[in-house]
Amino acid sequence: MKLRLLFLLLATAAFLPGLAAPAHAGKEQINQAANDGEEALLSDSEAQRRAAPGRPARDARRPTPTDNPGAVPPAPPNLPREFIPVPDRWRLADAIGVVTSTIDPYKQNMLKGDRPIFGKDWFVNLSLISDTVIEPRRVPTPVPFASSQFNIANDQFSRSNQLLINENLIGSFSLIKGNTAFKPPDFELRISPVFNYNRLEVDEVGLTDANPAKGKVRNDSHLGIAELFVDYHIHNVSERYDFESIRLGVQPFNADFRGFLFQDSQLGARLFGNRFNNKIQYNVAWFRRLDKDTNSGINDITRRVRDDDIFIANVFLQDLFTLGYTPQFTVIHNRNRENDRFFYDDNDFLQRPNSFGDERLRKYNVTYIGWNGDGHFGRVNLTHSVYGAIGKDYNSNFTGREADIRAFFAAFEPSIDFDWIRVRGSFLYASGDEDPLDDTEGGFSAIFENPQFAGADTSYWIRQGIPFIGGGGVALTQRNGVLAELRSSKEHGQSNFNNPGIALIGGGADFDILPELRFSTNVNYLMFADTSNLEFLRNQGEISNRIGWDISGAATYRPFNNQNIVFRLSGAMLLADEGFKRLYSTEDEDQSIFYSVLGNLILTY
Amino acid sequence: MRRRGGRTTWAAALIALCAVLSFARPASAQGNVTAVPPLFLSAAEVGQIISQAVQEAQARGRPATIAVVDRVGNVLGVFRMNGAPVELRITTNRNIPAGNGLEQVETVLAALSTTLGVVNGAPTTDLSAIAKAVTGAYLSSSGNAFSTRTASQIVQENFNPLEFRAPGGPLFGVQFSQLPCSDFNRRATAAFDGADPANPLGRPGPKRSPLGLSADPGGIPLYKGGFVVGGLGVESDGIYTIDRIINDIDTSDDELIAVAGAAGFDAPVDVRANRIAVAGKTLRYIDRDRTDRNNPLASNPAAAPAFAAIDGVLGGRVGVRDYFSTGAVIVPAPALRDGTPYGDPTSGYAPDPTGEVSTFGPAIVLRDPTNLANNAFTPRAGTGPPGGLALTANESATILVNALKVAFGGRAQIRRPQNSFIQVTVSVVDVNGVILAMARTPDAPIFGTDVSLQKARTALFFSRVDAAAQLAAFNSPVASTVLVPPQPVGNNALGVPIGFYANIAQAFIQPSVFTDGTAWSTRGVGLIDRPFFPDGVDGEPHGPFSRPFQLWSPFNVGLQLDLVLDNIAQHLIFLRTGAAVETPMNCTYLPLIGPLGISQLANGMQPFAGGFPIYRNGVLIGGIGISGDGIDQDDMVGFLGLHNGGVALGTGVGHAAFAIRDDQLSPRGARLRYVNCPFQPNAGGNEQNVCRGK
Repeated sequence: MKLRLLFLLLATAAFLPGLAAPAHAGKEQINQAANDGEEALLSDSEAQRRAAPGRPARDARRPTPTDNPGAVPPAPPNLPREFIPVPDRWRLADAIGVVTSTIDPYKQNMLKGDRPIFGKDWFVNLSLISDTVIEPRRVPTPVPFASSQFNIANDQFSRSNQLLINENLIGSFSLIKGNTAFKPPDFELRISPVFNYNRLEVDEVGLTDANPAKGKVRNDSHLGIAELFVDYHIHNVSERYDFESIRLGVQPFNADFRGFLFQDSQLGARLFGNRFNNKIQYNVAWFRRLDKDTNSGINDITRRVRDDDIFIANVFLQDLFTLGYTPQFTVIHNRNRENDRFFYDDNDFLQRPNSFGDERLRKYNVTYIGWNGDGHFGRVNLTHSVYGAIGKDYNSNFTGREADIRAFFAAFEPSIDFDWIRVRGSFLYASGDEDPLDDTEGGFSAIFENPQFAGADTSYWIRQGIPFIGGGGVALTQRNGVLAELRSSKEHGQSNFNNPGIALIGGGADFDILPELRFSTNVNYLMFADTSNLEFLRNQGEISNRIGWDISGAATYRPFNNQNIVFRLSGAMLLADEGFKRLYSTEDEDQSIFYSVLGNLILTY
Repeated sequence: MRRRGGRTTWAAALIALCAVLSFARPASAQGNVTAVPPLFLSAAEVGQIISQAVQEAQARGRPATIAVVDRVGNVLGVFRMNGAPVELRITTNRNIPAGNGLEQVETVLAALSTTLGVVNGAPTTDLSAIAKAVTGAYLSSSGNAFSTRTASQIVQENFNPLEFRAPGGPLFGVQFSQLPCSDFNRRATAAFDGADPANPLGRPGPKRSPLGLSADPGGIPLYKGGFVVGGLGVESDGIYTIDRIINDIDTSDDELIAVAGAAGFDAPVDVRANRIAVAGKTLRYIDRDRTDRNNPLASNPAAAPAFAAIDGVLGGRVGVRDYFSTGAVIVPAPALRDGTPYGDPTSGYAPDPTGEVSTFGPAIVLRDPTNLANNAFTPRAGTGPPGGLALTANESATILVNALKVAFGGRAQIRRPQNSFIQVTVSVVDVNGVILAMARTPDAPIFGTDVSLQKARTALFFSRVDAAAQLAAFNSPVASTVLVPPQPVGNNALGVPIGFYANIAQAFIQPSVFTDGTAWSTRGVGLIDRPFFPDGVDGEPHGPFSRPFQLWSPFNVGLQLDLVLDNIAQHLIFLRTGAAVETPMNCTYLPLIGPLGISQLANGMQPFAGGFPIYRNGVLIGGIGISGDGIDQDDMVGFLGLHNGGVALGTGVGHAAFAIRDDQLSPRGARLRYVNCPFQPNAGGNEQNVCRGK
C-alpha cells in the first residue's frame, strides 16, 4: 500500500509535466555547448559521495581505490549514501557544547543532515553548487551552404576559434528518514534543480543555429531537473544491513565503472541491494529516457518522454577472482522506437533520425553484454570494460534494409603508484563497421557515454564534439565521448552502429605535487577501426585510419584541501595525422592545431 | 586463437594484407572511364524494353504511355497502350492554382486554345514519358545512375525534401534545362532545325525535352555493359508531379513499370543513386526493385512477348511531332529506331578530333552537325566586348583546358567507385553569350552539356550592368500579341512582369544591384532564387527571384521559369495542335544581342552553383559554366579553371576583384556566397581549401 502510494507520487512528479506539455518544437545541432551542466553535476555529486566516510567500497584491505584525477570519478550507483558514523551525535554534540550553524557546512548544521529537522529521524540535506566552465577551443568548422560570416569564404572550412562559457547552478534538496548512522535510510526524497546559462561564440554563422542569419553567438539558459526521485528502503536482509531498496524517478546511473555505455541521470525505476556483507551488489533497472535541453544538456521535463527504454541487470562480485578486484557482469537492453516523427533540436538541426544516409525513420533493439572490473592485482590497479552488442536495426540508413548489429568494445586502464606519482596506461578499442552496404552493422555505439578514461574531459578528442563536415548532419565524435559514433548528438540522437569505431592507445601520469595541487598528463594516439563508413558518407576514398596524437595536461587546485573550492585548468591539443587531415582543415593556416582549454571553478556549499 | 597460429599465421596474414592492399581498388573502375565503348540500343532492344514494360503495366492494370530514348536524347520509340490516359495534369499536389507557372498549365492552355480557336493545346502523356526517359538518360553515366526520383529529391526547397531548415536541393532549377526553346539542344527533325536530311535522327547532338527534366518517378536510365545507352520513361497515371515525401517506400506504378521495362538493361547496382552520398545523404534511385526480398513486379520481364506481338494489339506506337516523327509527319508513327552510340560522331559527341582541348586528358567534344569530323566549338575569339578586350581563341582554349585539368585531377562527389575523377562539361562564352569553347570529360552526364552553358550565361547575364534593363525589356509576342486580351509589354503570358524581379531584388539587396556590375556567380544567384532567404530557412520570406512559398513549387520557381514560360507554352501548343509556328531556337524574350541575334539567356537561366563571370582587368568579358558532378566540384572546376587559366595566360583575364563579388552583399544579415570548393578535392591528396584567397 505504502509502495503504491509512493509510486503514484513519483508518477505525478515525474511524468505529468512531460505529458502535459505539448511536443516541444525544439531542435539542435552537433553542438559544442551541450552537456556541460550534466557532467559537472555528476562530477560533483560523485565527489560528495566519495568524501563520505564509511563508504563500503573503501575496503580496509584495498589501497586507495583507483582514482582518475581531473575526471569525474566513477559512480558505483548502488551504494548507500552519507553514513554518519556516530549515532545520536547531535545530542552528544549538544552535551559537549558543539556550536551549530546553518551557514557553515562544517559546523553542526540542520540543513546538512546533522540534526533532525523534525521528529526523531527526519533529516534535510541541502547543497548548492556553482560550476563555471570557460572553454576556449578550436574545432573544425564548416562554412554553411547558404551563407558565411566572411567574404571570400571560398572553401568548406571556416575559421575555427570558439569560446564556450557555461554556468550551472545546482541545488539539491534531500528529505531523509532514517537513523543516518550505520543503517541505511528508510526513505529519501531528493530534488535537484539546475539552472544553466551558456554562451557560445564561434567564428562562423550557421553553427549556433541552422539559420545563418542568427549570427555566430548564442546565449541560452535552461532550468531543468538533474535528480528527482524517491528512494524507499524495502527491507534489510542481514544484521549487517545488507538491504534492498527501490528508487523511482530521475536518478543518476552508471552502467559500468567508467561511463562507457550509459551514464546519465534519467527517469527510471531501480531495484538495488546487496548481500553477504556487501560482497555482492546488484541492480535491476528500467529507464525510459527523458529528452535533454539542447544547449545545456540537462533533462527537459517539458518535452515528450522519449520512446526509448533501457533495461538493465547487473551484479558486482567483490573479490571474485582475487582480493581487491570487483568484476561486474551486466546485461543491458536498449529498445528504441523513435521512428514516428522527425525531431529537431533547439537550434533547428535534425536530430532524429540521424541526418545522413537515407534519412528514413528507424528503430532498433540492441543488447549489450558486459564484463567490467575495477580493482588491483598486487600493486597494479586495473579498470576494464568489455562489451558485446547484439541486436537489430530495422532500417539501416545506408541500405534501407534490416541489419544485424554485431559490435564490441574493450577498454583497459592499468595503473601503478610510485609514492606521489601514478602512472597509467589506456587502451581502448571500439569495433568499426567494415562495410556500409552489407546487412551487418559492426560499429560499436553507446547509449549515453560519458567516459572517465584516458584524460576524459582533459583530452581533446573526448572533450570536443567534432562535426562530420561534408558527411551529413552528424558528429564524428561527441562532446564528452570517446567513440566515433557518427550520431547527430548524444543528447537527442539515436545510437548508430554504422560508424568507423575507434582505437586508442595512451599513457599518462598524475603528480600530487602538493596536497592542494595535482598535475595530470595524458598522451593518446587515436585511430579509426575502419574508415569505410566515412568514405561512403563523403564519397571519398582512401581515408587513412590515423587520427593523430592527443596531448593534454591538467592542474587541479583545491586551496582548502576539500571539495568546496576546486579549480581546474587543463589544455589539450590534437596533432592531426593523415586521416584527420583528409577530413578536416581550417580556413586560417595559423589555426592548424586544434586545441581545447578548459577552465573550471566549482564552488560547493 | 591468434596465439596458436604463431609465426606462420602472421606471415600468411602479411601476405594476405599485401594482396588485399594491391587489389582492393581496381584501377579499371568504370567511374574513371576515359573512353566509352560505342554501345547503343538496337530497335529490337527498344521493342523488348517496351514489351516488358507493357506486360507489367497490363499486369498492374495500369495502361501506360512508354518512351525510350538513347543517351543523347533521340527518341527511339513511344508506345501508348490501349486505355492509357492521354491528357496530362501537371501539379505538385500542393493546391497551387492554375496560372502559377506550370502548375495545372493544362487548364490554362486548354482555355487559351479555345480563345485562339484551335484544338486543345494542353500537354499529353507522351511528353511526360519522353521527359522522364530523357531525364534518366541525361542524369546518368557509368559512374552514377540517377532516376527521375533522384531528380525529385534534389530540386525541392529543402534537401532532403521536407527536412526543416535544410538548404534547397543541390540541383535546384535543373528541371528547366534541355528546354524546347534552347538555342543549344538540337531538334530531331530537320524541318524544325535547319536542314540536315541526311541524318534520320535529325541533327546529331543532345536533344531537347518537351518539359525539361522530370522529377516524377517513372524515368530511369538504361545500361549495357555498365554504360548508359539510354533512358526509359513511363506515364500511367497522367499526373506529372514530384515526390514530396521521400521518407516512405512508394509503390509507384510508373516506376515499377519502368523497372520491368529496364530488366536486362538495369543500372549497375553499385553506381545507383542510393549508394551515392551528397553531403552525407544518400540519394533515392527507385523505391522498390525486382531484386527486393518481396518482388514488387506483377509480371516476369523475361516472359514478355515480342514487340511485334503487342504492337497494334495492346496499344501502338504514337508519333510525337519532332521527337518521334517522320519529318513533321506523326501519322503513321515511325518504326522503332536504333539509338546512336555515345562517343560516335553520329551521336554528336565524339573524341576531340584534333587534340586541341585534350591537353590534360582525353576530352569529348560536340561535333559540328554540318561536318561531323569537326569540333563544333573549337575554341575561338569572342564577339565582344569591343576594344580588344574580348577573349582570344587562345584564351578561350586555355581557360577551357585548365578547367578540364582540374576535373581530371579532382575527386568526384557523385560517382562510384570512390576517388573517380570529376566528369563534367565546361562551357566558355563571350560577353554576348556566344559559345567560345565547350568540351567535356569522357563520361560526363549529358544534362551538364546544356546546363554548363546555362550557368555560364546566367553568371554573365546577372553580372552585366544592363541586367536589370534587359529584364525590364522582356517582350514576349505570345503575351503581348497572341493572347486575347494581350498582356502589357514586359509581362509573360501568365501576366508576370519580368522586369519586376530586378526591382524586388533591388529593394531586397541594395538599390544598385543588377546595374552596378556586381560579379554574380550562379551560386550567388541561386541564393536569392530560393523560396526562403536564407536558403532553406523555412518560414523566412522568399528570395527576390523566387515566389512566395505558398505559391512556389518546382513547377513555379519564379524568374527562371517565367523567362521561358511563353516558349514552353508555344511549344506545347505546337505539339498538340500542329500549329505552324514552333517556339524559336532562342529561349526567353529578352532583347536580342550580339552577332548571333540571340537573347543573353538563349537556352534558359540556371540558378545553381558552377558558373562565373570572366573579367579582363576589371571589365566583364564572358562567362564560364561547369556541370556534371557535385555542385561544389562544379564550382571548383570553374573557379580554379578560370583562375589557373588566367594565371597561365598573364593577360589580365581572370575572376572578378574581391570587392565586386556577390559575397560582399549581405541582404537581411545573411552574406551571399560566391564559390564553395569541396573538401579534400583531389583524390589521394591532403590538400584542403584549394580556392582560398583566389
